[in-house]
Amino acid sequence: MSLDDTLAAWAATVRLPDAAAADIYQQIIMTPAPGGEAFGGLGRTWWRDFSAGFAARMITSTRPVPVPWAA
Amino acid sequence: MDREAEFRELYEAHRDAVHAYFTGRTGDRWAAADLMQEVFMRAWQRLPELVGRPASGQRAWIFTVARNLAVDTYRHERTRAGAEAALGHEPAAAPAPASAPVIAAERVAVVGEAIRQLPEEQRVAVTMSAASGLTSAQIATALGVPAGTVRYRLSLARRTLGAALAAYDQPAGTAEER
Repeated sequence: MSLDDTLAAWAATVRLPDAAAADIYQQIIMTPAPGGEAFGGLGRTWWRDFSAGFAARMITSTRPVPVPWAA
Repeated sequence: MDREAEFRELYEAHRDAVHAYFTGRTGDRWAAADLMQEVFMRAWQRLPELVGRPASGQRAWIFTVARNLAVDTYRHERTRAGAEAALGHEPAAAPAPASAPVIAAERVAVVGEAIRQLPEEQRVAVTMSAASGLTSAQIATALGVPAGTVRYRLSLARRTLGAALAAYDQPAGTAEER
């Protein structure tokens, strides 16, 4: 068994198993990335649409109600 | 190509090298896996910076992150160095007598122990070469050193490992002569 063969056999004992590498990959891609699609498969415009809708509802709901005696 | 496909390509291209680098630095493949995950997490978060670069540019970016992370980790772990060293230098398993598979396993253990005792720069180079199959030039790009330096480190490491194997083989040869 040559040095190269022995090194190759040693390398096999320290290499990361494919299953562990796949687990790590899955953990990473489950993390939301800035600028990417949000976690859970939400679309790229989800947050913008939600914020715009929320702001519009807040403005509407806090607008003073017209009262007859104020005129 | 969508973001995930781009990342998968990057991950598959470089994960073995990054893992081998950290294995060389830490001597522990599971600690290396944790550090590798941290590097690729940063790559995932900054993917637009990496996409479109040539493989060597991606490797340089990734290993800049990896080297910085190794330095940070070393600083944080320095106070635990004694315990780590004790864990990291457990003696190799006692040799069992003689069949070919046992001898092969013993030789692997001898090489593993010799690698563990190499100077860090040589250990990283030989681990990256053996475990990820990178060329000297590719290792040089990753480490940010000249290719000649990597070849020199590999040469020194191989000389040490060859001597360790020769020392292991010697008693057996001597015994046969009696």
